[in-house]
Amino acid sequence: MFELLIFFLPASILIIGALIVVFAKNPVHNAMGLVMTLVSLAIIYITLNATFVAMVQMLVYAGAVMTLFLFVIMMIGVDKKEQTSDSIKGQTFLVSGVFLILMCLLGYVAVNSEFSWNLWFPAVEYVVEGTPQLIAGTLFTTWIFPFEIISILLIVATAAAIALAYDSKIRNKDA
Amino acid sequence: MLEVTTDWYLTLAAILFSIGFFGMMIRKNALIMFMCIELMLNAVNLTFIAASKHFGQIDGQIAVFFVLVVAAAEVVVGLAIIVSIFRKQSSASVDVLNVSRG
Amino acid sequence: MDFLFVLPIFLPLLTAIFLFLNRKIFNELVTNFFTLNSALLSFAISFFAFVTFALAKFKPISLTLYQWTRTPDITIGFTLDGLSGVMLLLVTGLSFVIQLFSTSYMEKDEKHSNYFVYFNFFVFSMLLLVMSSNFLVMFFGWELVGLSSYLLISFWSQKPAAAKAGNKAFVINRIGDFGFLIGLMIILNTFNTFDFHTVMQSSTNISENTITTISLFLLLGAFGKSAQFPLFSWLPDAMEGPTPASALIHAATMVTAGVFMLVRISPMLQHSATASIVIISFGLLTALIAAFSAMNQYDIKKVLAYSTISQLGFMFIAIGAGAYVAAIFHLVTHAFFKALLFLGAGAVIHSMHHEQDMRKMGGLRKRMPITAGMMGIGTLAISGIPPLAGFWSKDEILASVFAKAGMANELVFSIMYYLFWALTLGAALLTAFYMGRHWLLIFEKDNGIDHSEVQEAPKAMIRPLILLGIFSIFIGFINTPFFHGLEKVLHETLENVEVTHLPEGIALVILAVFSIGAGFTGLIIAFLIFGFQLHKRINLGKFKLESPINLVKDLSSNVLYLNKFGNVFFVSGMKNFSRKVAVIVDGLIIDGSVNFISSAFAKTSKITSATQTGLVRNYVVYFGLFLILLISLFIFTPLVAQ
Repeated sequence: MFELLIFFLPASILIIGALIVVFAKNPVHNAMGLVMTLVSLAIIYITLNATFVAMVQMLVYAGAVMTLFLFVIMMIGVDKKEQTSDSIKGQTFLVSGVFLILMCLLGYVAVNSEFSWNLWFPAVEYVVEGTPQLIAGTLFTTWIFPFEIISILLIVATAAAIALAYDSKIRNKDA
Repeated sequence: MLEVTTDWYLTLAAILFSIGFFGMMIRKNALIMFMCIELMLNAVNLTFIAASKHFGQIDGQIAVFFVLVVAAAEVVVGLAIIVSIFRKQSSASVDVLNVSRG
Repeated sequence: MDFLFVLPIFLPLLTAIFLFLNRKIFNELVTNFFTLNSALLSFAISFFAFVTFALAKFKPISLTLYQWTRTPDITIGFTLDGLSGVMLLLVTGLSFVIQLFSTSYMEKDEKHSNYFVYFNFFVFSMLLLVMSSNFLVMFFGWELVGLSSYLLISFWSQKPAAAKAGNKAFVINRIGDFGFLIGLMIILNTFNTFDFHTVMQSSTNISENTITTISLFLLLGAFGKSAQFPLFSWLPDAMEGPTPASALIHAATMVTAGVFMLVRISPMLQHSATASIVIISFGLLTALIAAFSAMNQYDIKKVLAYSTISQLGFMFIAIGAGAYVAAIFHLVTHAFFKALLFLGAGAVIHSMHHEQDMRKMGGLRKRMPITAGMMGIGTLAISGIPPLAGFWSKDEILASVFAKAGMANELVFSIMYYLFWALTLGAALLTAFYMGRHWLLIFEKDNGIDHSEVQEAPKAMIRPLILLGIFSIFIGFINTPFFHGLEKVLHETLENVEVTHLPEGIALVILAVFSIGAGFTGLIIAFLIFGFQLHKRINLGKFKLESPINLVKDLSSNVLYLNKFGNVFFVSGMKNFSRKVAVIVDGLIIDGSVNFISSAFAKTSKITSATQTGLVRNYVVYFGLFLILLISLFIFTPLVAQ
């Protein structure tokens, strides 16, 4: 009982947040919906014994990335009221078509397997705690190479962002 | 039905992914399209964590780390691009960016 | 020393190359020097090789230069046996004599050196043909001879008539070569070799149908090369070329290549009765048509051209009757007196400043006595007057046909051969008639035209004429019924061949009387009409002979309208057909399909490029579509168990 509750509550908040992201008109509302999604996702991670990852997600995603998003929204897109009617020919038709087909497929799959998934491998009995020690032990031994590449990627991304958004007029005004 | 098994989490991730995907198709504003990308990435993260619990291995969570970092870097660069594009024009719509039309 | 006989083949080639490379540097004297000496040397070596060969009792010698594959057997080789030895002497000897004549005839011509290049190249190709030891080398020679003939016919290429005549000769030759080539293919397929010796020996094991097929195809080639009906119209047109070239090519050597080839394959040919009958009928038909057409020609060389066709018909008659020795004998004697007649005509043309119409000549006997005398000898020889050369060979042919009639198994064949004999006799009569007319119109009949500036031909022209005249008188003695010289020479070549033998004794004498009678009759009629002017002295209106004579004259001049018929039917028909093909097949079908493919590509690419909108959202939709595809792939393939 408790488990069901602890699953469904964050799950519903997740879905509602996602729907707000897709259908809201004001960009700030979109950003808020995303934050809702991220936070509930973190809760779900905790129920899945991935405690460290949940904390990291809160810090990085909901903290840094969303702040960045809100900065840019404020800078650019908040004043205009955007109309959701699209100006591309046939886009509505195509989108609804894809949607319909996908739903049919999923429905077919669900009905065929009688609403129960037959995962090939059975779940393991023991529980792996997502402690920092365990994660660090694997990250810095088996996954050391991707780790280094990721750090290089971060540096490159930062440099790229500066190079892209650099406005020499602002700089010259200061100097 | 009474037990929350792995496949529930996978279904949830699938629903989240499709919502993000449809959001991408529908919205015109570049920033909101980005947020939908974030939704999809998070759905993938959820899948990874669920699989990590299912198989009892920690590698799933390591993967989540990497996805997280990549998503952050991508947001940084993408927002920089959007900022520099939309300095030129006042609207934030992506529909006018059809220079690569063939 | 044994293989000395190969040298005369390549010496003319070297001379031709040498003269070609230096054609702009050498003046006429130097060219004449080189070519005459080379021809004399070739003849001397050939003579020496032949004497050696004769002393070795005519045993054939072969030389293989290069073997390409073993099975099927494709090699390049040469052989010296009786047949090729005789031809070797004939070709090299005549080439020397005629080149001597040409040095004077082609004097001051601007393409003097080109002429001798082509001439030597022709001699080389002809020797390649006759000295070959297998069909492949013979085919090389065959084709090259056609090429040289084309080069020499269209020698004065600024005249459109000459160029057209050259084209015509080559195209008609090609039709014959098509048959020859197919015959070669069948030979290679059946016998797995091209070598004459092997093919002839194994021909007894092959079915008669195959032999008939091979013979008929090779016969088509012989028809083209030797100007038999229906492929003869190129030879009168070939008279556009220089007269000495006509003398060598279209009288003595190239046109006899067909006859030579048929005698070469005689061991195989004798087994096919069908082919023999075809040969003799076509030979007779040609002889009659050509003799008929020669009766009313007015060009001095065209009479000789039709005469050549007719005499070649005689040779084919001999082959068809199985008298292979007689055919070669007639080939040799004909070469001499026809070359004599052509060179004499060349001398007359030269002295008349290139006038060729006989109606403008007449009474030249007083101005050009030696030429007249020599041409008279030639005329008597061709009419078959003993003891000149033509009598012996022509009589042998007639006697062989008669003997074949006697040897025939069934009555119908017997009657057929007797009929052939009678018709051949008629052709001999016509021959004597038109040749007599020819001589009389040039030299005797006075047309009242002033010929005071006509002089005797220069010495370099007279000497070959005299030489050939002497030969025409005496060459006949190599194969008389009393001394079978040529038969001995050809004995080894025709080892397994059943040669039709002449009748003996009194029958032979009676036959000889008939053929002499035919010759004399023809000459007397010619003299009566053209020398004695009989038709002017008697009123022919009494016998109502005006219109038939005019009809005969008309048909004769126009070669029985055969040429016109061929032109309309084949040439125009071919042109129309090819125009239709060009428009329909090339224009509509080929161009249409290619254009269709390219326009289909353009349209398709236009349609598919509509998906490249440049809009991000569309591309997201494409993602979705592909996602659906992927998902359905997973669902519906048996890889994923549900």
